[in-house]
This record gives sequence, C-alpha cells and structure tokens, in this order.
Amino acid sequence: MKLELGYIQIKDIQFSKECKVENGTLYVDPEAVKDFMYQDDDVKTWVKDFSFDIARPGESVRITPVKDVIEPRVKVEGPGAQFPGVIAKVDTVGSGKTHVLRGMAVVTAGKIVGFQEGLIDMTGPAADYTYFSKLNNFVVVAEPAEGYEDHKHEYEHAVRIAGLRAAVYLGELGRNLTPDETAEFETFGIMEGKEKFPELPRVAYVHMLQSQGLLHDTYVYGVDAKRSLTTIIYPTETMDGAIISGNCVSACDKNTTYHHQNNPVVAELFAQHGKKLNYVCNIITNENVYLADKMRSSDWTAKLCRLLDLDGVIISQEGFGNPDTDLIMNTKKIEQQGIKTTIITDEYAGQDGKSQSLADADPLADAVVTGGNANQNIVLPPMDKVIGTLDYVDIIAGGHAGSLRPDGSIEAEIQIITGATNEMGFGLLSAR
Amino acid sequence: MANEGNPGDFSILTNNPLVESRLKGRGAWSVDYRPELSLREILVAARDKVYAGHTLYTHPLSGSVKPNETPYKSVIISVEPHGINDDFAVMIASAIETFDKLKDFKREYNDRVLKDFQLIDYTLICGAIGFDALSGLSNK
Repeated sequence: MKLELGYIQIKDIQFSKECKVENGTLYVDPEAVKDFMYQDDDVKTWVKDFSFDIARPGESVRITPVKDVIEPRVKVEGPGAQFPGVIAKVDTVGSGKTHVLRGMAVVTAGKIVGFQEGLIDMTGPAADYTYFSKLNNFVVVAEPAEGYEDHKHEYEHAVRIAGLRAAVYLGELGRNLTPDETAEFETFGIMEGKEKFPELPRVAYVHMLQSQGLLHDTYVYGVDAKRSLTTIIYPTETMDGAIISGNCVSACDKNTTYHHQNNPVVAELFAQHGKKLNYVCNIITNENVYLADKMRSSDWTAKLCRLLDLDGVIISQEGFGNPDTDLIMNTKKIEQQGIKTTIITDEYAGQDGKSQSLADADPLADAVVTGGNANQNIVLPPMDKVIGTLDYVDIIAGGHAGSLRPDGSIEAEIQIITGATNEMGFGLLSAR
Repeated sequence: MANEGNPGDFSILTNNPLVESRLKGRGAWSVDYRPELSLREILVAARDKVYAGHTLYTHPLSGSVKPNETPYKSVIISVEPHGINDDFAVMIASAIETFDKLKDFKREYNDRVLKDFQLIDYTLICGAIGFDALSGLSNK
C-alpha cells in the first residue's frame, strides 16, 4: 500500500471573513467552522457554544485544559477520506494522495471533568517540553450544554467529534493547493517484501492503544479498541486518520490524534525501510483493565509476530500503571518467540527520579527507550493570556494544592504538559 | 461455588459509592463496598486476598488517573480462593509500591470533582465486567 503526503506549510493563522490558504497563511472564518461542527447532531445536543482563538509560537499564551490535538488533512486522490468510520465512511484509507496542513494544529480545549488536564504554553520553559508549542494552533474551546454533568460520555464524544470536524473543514482548504513538498510511503505484501529485501531484517511496530474506559479510549475506523482483538494495519492507514484519540487523561503521555497521524516510530521505520530493515506492518493491540483480556491480547500479539516471521519489533505504550503490564506481557511473549524487542515508554520515577520507573518489569524487557520522567518538577511563569481556564490547575495530574500561585505561575510536575513525555518518542526531551 | 472467570466469582472490592449504587444487584457479581477504606487500604485489602489465594481479575492500577490523585479504587477479586498465583501477587504488591513512590499532593476536592473521579473508576470497572456503563447510569 502506497501513500503520498503533500505538505502545505502553514506559517500563520488569521481570522478572516473568508476561509483560504494563501502564501502560507491560513485564513479562517470561525463562524464557518462552527457551522460545520454543528452539522453533527451530537455536537448540536451537547455543546452549547464554541469560542475560537489562535495561539502562535513565541506568544505569551497558555492553552488549558487541552483535550485533543489534530492535524488538518484532506484526501485528494484514492479511496476514503479523513477519519474513516468516525467522520467519513468506513472505506480503507492509507493509499493515494493526502494533503497535510503542516506547522499547525486544531487544539480542542474546555472542561469535561472536574480534573481536566493538560496545558500548552506557547513560550517559556514549558515550550521546551512539547512540540505543540512550536505549532500555529487554532484553538476550539467548547462550552457544555445544560445538564451535561450527567452525560459526560456523550459530551466527551461530542467534543471529540467537533475537533475532528474542525480539522476536516480546515484540511479541505488544502485540497486544490500545490504542496510545498511531497513524500511517498509504501510497505509491501509479505512475500513481495521478502523478495524485494531478502537480506534485511523483518521489523514491525507493535502499537499499543489506550482502551480502558471513559476518557481512556482509542478508536480504529470508529471501533472502540477495547472491543477488538489484536490485529494488523498498514502503517499508512495510521498516517491517514484511521486511528483517533478519545484519551483525555495523563497529559504528558497521552497519544493525541496528532501523534497517531504523525507517529514518529512509523516515520523512523519508513526512513530505514529498504535500507537497514524491511518494515513489514503495524500490529495494533489494546490495554484493557480485565486481566484475562491482557493475556489474550498479548498472546495474540506474540502469535502474529511469529506468523509474520519477524526478526525485530518496536513496542510503544500509552498511559500510566496498568498499560505497563500489557507492555511487559507483550515484550516477554514476543521475546519468547525468538524475536528481539525494543520498548518505548516514559517513567514515573518519583520527583527525585530514584524510584522504580514502571509498574511492571521483566529481564526479557532489556532494551528500553524513555520519553522522560513525568514526575520531574517544573515552575511555569504566568502567561499574558489564558485560552480556556486555570480552574483545574490545582487538581490536574502533576499539579497539587497551591500549584497555581497568586501571581499566575504554576509549580507542578511535567506531566501537566501535553505531550511532554510522549511514549511514541514524539518529544523534545533527549539525553543527546 | 462459582467457577474461576465466571461473573458469579467476581467480588468488586471498592470504596466508590457510584460502583456500589450502580452495580450492586445488577449482575451475578457481588460488591464488597468499603467506604471507610482509602485507596491504599483498598489495595492492601486486595493484596491480602490475593496472598490468601484469591484470583486478581482486574489490574489494580487501572486508569491513567494516578492513585495519588483519585481517592477511589475498585478491584475485582475472586469470591473463592483458587490457589496462589505468583503473577497476581507481584502485580498487587508492586501497585502498592507504585502508590507509595508518588508524592502526596494533599489536595482537597469539591463534590463535583469527587463525582467525576467516581465516574471514571466506575466506567473502568464496567469495561472489565462487560457492563454497559451508560445504561447503568441512566436506569436509576
């Protein structure tokens, strides 16, 4: 399956009466975006209103609480459309041509639960921790309809759909443009790949999806990952909107939809594909709460790895605590098939970094790349402008009583920052 | 005597009032409601059961809401002991270790936030037992 991505560089976003992309500037009429979001019945029912803002790199702006981050894209050639099974029909994506509005994102923000979390600072020390501070962000703040307190599931769904619809609307503006740059990505059938690269090690990516419950979900072609068995997916499908995030908890290590679209493991495996390795496929597996599900899913992952005659596997997880067990089960069982593994995670090693990093371990899991220690302390100076609300800072992950100081500065752990210790390795922290 | 893995063998050990009110009597499982226990004490009570040979059915660190943030925890343990299992024993013990390494943030929550924490814990445990969390909320 082959996908061409055409990158259209967005250098600025401006509000306008007209929606268009011109000379690298995205002009947006917020009312047009709002109309498009409200075409969905659930959005109509559960979202009272939207407000819009623009946050650019270097500005003294804090966005919080962040729900999802999404890159606007549009399918210009080939089957399917953005976010199949959720926004578009369920056709298979991952082939043909897709245009990408690069350098920008749609950020959804606003309260869902009383401990809603995650912030993006556009300047200052927190901006060194997340790539989202380097993007031009079109921020959509949702305000819940009356009575939403008893309908958190429905409201979370509505805000998720609204964000995706905003991204689809903006992505569409790139349909008829000539991309600044294009790149092709292709993986082959099992036999075909073996014939093309007979000498190269066969490598796959085991992509673990958060799937525990409300605010902890991931959807594949619209299917809740907790209800799926471990399966195979073309890497280009994930690049083309097949996987979306419904995960709003643990800001530093949640995989937003943007992360799924721009998965750095996929990018790096493609960069080495046909050179150092034969990139066979992605294997997607879940992280359920019920222990028998963990056994079944990890057995299945190991079985598929063996069936595909893999030599090596990269495994990434999402979330804290419980997924560590899935991670270690997957790793152990795949290693027991004689296949080498490397895992990507982050750490909760205490504020001094001296405690055990993960909630589980095994001697076979001996190749680990870390995204950083989420418990590391940080002080964030006040920003001139806040998009969203600071109401939750004292009670979100990594914050504590008194986190929000009278001068507007925040003392907290870096887990407060959206994307700070991403477990796909999509981060700025490095020992290099 | 319920067979291992059968819902009749599920005992939901919880300090979450929402789990008690929505799941008690709604299936073959039983709810062991212990409102007087802290999250750590729930983990310790679960550990004692696991050490006595009860099956651990759900992961004690369910959810990405950290144990030093939420006061609520539900863990499913077998009603009957089925024999000691090393993996379960290690898992429950390391969950307590994980709890202890996280800093006590000394937060106080209002009712609204507490209700949200209850809701999250409730939906996680519903996922584990295959109970429709949404319909459980709507049928009072």
